[in-house]
Amino acid sequence: MERARISRQPAHLLLASEFGSATLNEKGSGEYDPSFVITKLGAKVNRIVAAGLLERLEQRETSGGSSLYQGQLRDPTGLHYFSIGEYNSEMMQELAHQWSERLDDGEPLLVMMTSKTRWYQTDEGAVYTSLRPEEACVVNREVYANWLLDACEATMERMNRFASSMEVEPTLDAYARAGLPASLLAAKNHYGEVDLEPFKLNLMQALDIAEGRIEAATTPPPVMRLSDEGAVEGGDGGQDLEAFLLKAVGQRDQGDGVTLDALLKVAVSNGGFVREVAEAKLDDMLDAGTLDEPRFGWFRVGATN
Amino acid sequence: MSTEKYADYVQAVLKECPDADEGEIAEAFAKYENEFYIPPQDAMRSVLRRFQSGTSPATTGGSTATRQVKKVAGLSELSATDRDVEIEVAIVTHNVRDQLIRGEEKQIAFGMLEDNPWEENGQRTRWDYKDWGPHANLAAGSIVRIEGASVNEYNGKMSLNINQSARVVVLKEGVATPVASNDPIDISAIPKEGYICVVGRVLASRPDVIHRKDGSGSIDVVRGRLADDTGTIGFLSWEPFDHEVGTLLKIDGAQVKSFRDTPELNFGRTTRIEVYHDANFADLDTLNEKSLTSVSALRDGSRDVDAVVQITEIAKRTFNRDGEEKFLWSGQIADPTGRCRISLWDDLPFKETDLPVTVQIKGARVRAWQGIPDITVDNAEQMTVLEAPPWDAGMDLTNHAVEVDLAEVVAGPSRVGLKTSGMLVSVREDSGFIMRCTECRRVLRDGICSDCGPNAGAEDIRMRLVVDLDGATAAVLVNKEATLATLDLDVDAMRSKIDEIGEQGFVQHVRDQMLGRHLTVTGRSIVDEQGAMILADGCSMEVHDPQMRASELRAQWGWG
Repeated sequence: MERARISRQPAHLLLASEFGSATLNEKGSGEYDPSFVITKLGAKVNRIVAAGLLERLEQRETSGGSSLYQGQLRDPTGLHYFSIGEYNSEMMQELAHQWSERLDDGEPLLVMMTSKTRWYQTDEGAVYTSLRPEEACVVNREVYANWLLDACEATMERMNRFASSMEVEPTLDAYARAGLPASLLAAKNHYGEVDLEPFKLNLMQALDIAEGRIEAATTPPPVMRLSDEGAVEGGDGGQDLEAFLLKAVGQRDQGDGVTLDALLKVAVSNGGFVREVAEAKLDDMLDAGTLDEPRFGWFRVGATN
Repeated sequence: MSTEKYADYVQAVLKECPDADEGEIAEAFAKYENEFYIPPQDAMRSVLRRFQSGTSPATTGGSTATRQVKKVAGLSELSATDRDVEIEVAIVTHNVRDQLIRGEEKQIAFGMLEDNPWEENGQRTRWDYKDWGPHANLAAGSIVRIEGASVNEYNGKMSLNINQSARVVVLKEGVATPVASNDPIDISAIPKEGYICVVGRVLASRPDVIHRKDGSGSIDVVRGRLADDTGTIGFLSWEPFDHEVGTLLKIDGAQVKSFRDTPELNFGRTTRIEVYHDANFADLDTLNEKSLTSVSALRDGSRDVDAVVQITEIAKRTFNRDGEEKFLWSGQIADPTGRCRISLWDDLPFKETDLPVTVQIKGARVRAWQGIPDITVDNAEQMTVLEAPPWDAGMDLTNHAVEVDLAEVVAGPSRVGLKTSGMLVSVREDSGFIMRCTECRRVLRDGICSDCGPNAGAEDIRMRLVVDLDGATAAVLVNKEATLATLDLDVDAMRSKIDEIGEQGFVQHVRDQMLGRHLTVTGRSIVDEQGAMILADGCSMEVHDPQMRASELRAQWGWG
């Protein structure tokens, strides 16, 4: 396939859960060849339009001494992680600065961003994805709702394509004849069986939200483990969240730290904690220096411990 | 807004922030829900943050160790013990077979590969390989990067093992295997290059002469056109060709060559042409009728084009060539699929004042200027004036914009009078006031035109946008009038806005209003190897009611 050398990569519409669960990447051999993330549903993306609630945006300093904004964007299906650094345009950096101030003032910000996709692989082979916003703006709920619907439609199209690929022989030729993209074949080879049900549930919830039927989209809060109850396991009665997380990080850290996702899963399933509360606690522990975040989204026990 | 509605969430927040006020917490959840459509579970974290004490950023640092990958350019750099090898190779052959491995039937692939795949005619080393995956994206003829292969040595012969855990990245797709040349294919399926076999009826045929460029003489050829019920294609025969118009032929071993955007069949010494019999094959009249080209299907370089078009504008232009005064008529034409240009190198077969006039054109050539097709008619006899257009005569084609999917716009050709839509994904920073060269209208950079040098410049306004839809992308340049109309500003209001918030502030202002929203633009397109660009003279943001759309999607997906 020949392609104009400097052609722009189109932006795709992805909900956070699909992008966040992607672990496959593809890059050509040339220095300037674009890099792609391939999702479970076979979307091959170099650029996406994401939207959601700006949940966190903090300025960090990198080891090189330059400053970097790191943030989280929440849509109904999960979180996008993004960073804005000196490689971004002046305008984007300025926007990040303004947003972080507004966020610190407690102002809720619903934002939309055109972003390049990034992926990172650790030495152990774990892959995580993040975004590098190019252009962004604050939007109102109607614009957000329409974006949600666009993203739902695009996701549904990929789900349908995925379903129809079940009957197609898994070769590039057969896929091409059936009008299916090669990236879908790559996705199926890489991810194996993919359960479409969670994607469908995500869409249902997103539709409810876009329709303004928030109550239908509201999930009951997770069962909370009150402090006077015994611990679910380990017999370590009365341990608090902070101690639990610290222990979890200590036990699981193989040298690179522990991913946010893994930590939260442990906190919810083994500790019986509320995911959101655990997430917030992690933030506190970072700020207090109890935990370190050597790379975005990776935690380890802080130097002060 | 009742506090109870969020009671569980309020409790969760209170647990972390015991000093917070219950009412305020519930109010915060309500605000997220009502103003931003954020359900409480999604707002939880943001609300928590708000009620917790201020935070200060922490510093991070990081280091990355490298994996022990042996990355090599050539097979000769490898030794028998190498593991986790990364190399780019061309796959020469690829065979799949079933093999019993530890009692289990398993598919594996094997074949030969060569290193140094990018250098043409370069020195290449060839090894056998076995693919234990097997990786579905390995195919003969492709160039791939294999990551995580290992070397195998058996009886002194080296080969490569592509393990199950290895990754195969296709860098260049394999060349499709050529069509077996004695299997006829549809005309619409003819590739841009290659040898093919086709069955078609001769629609047109005329002798022509090609003059050698070096002046060493000329070659007699025959040009013409073939059709089947899927389409038509021009041909050029380098050998005598005396089949009459209407004859059905089977042509085996014709070479397809593409001139500009148009494929053409070449008949040479090795081409076998025979009369073919098929009583069910479409007759000449049917094919002739079908062979009419619409404006949207005109391609640069096409010949023998038949079309019915309406001439909407025409003007005589005279010029001097070699001291001799010459003229041509040039103007605009349209049909319901689009608009483009026409050039007639002869007298007009109707009165200028009769416009618009519908004509049938036969055997015209198509050239393109700035991507816009121009039907070139050499002789007025090629044109027949029709009394009425074959489409609804009430249609005003002068300002007719044809709705075209963005994907179709991007796939070309360039066209005039189109309307398309997509999601606005970028507002470039050079949107706003610009200075244009007074000579060539190029945008000046720091008062300098890249063609004409320093220039005082003339002020203009534009927006430079990018619009995407379903994987297609196009640059959109919105002209002054449409920019002002879209932003609901006049020139003075725009100037004072920029004075107030600065140029970058203005671009951000435009992004705030337009980013991520659906845009419909009208205008013309230029499609070349750089991609597609739409010069828009109209631009509007689509407004959709999310509730309605959501209900439609529910219905469509059967989720009532």
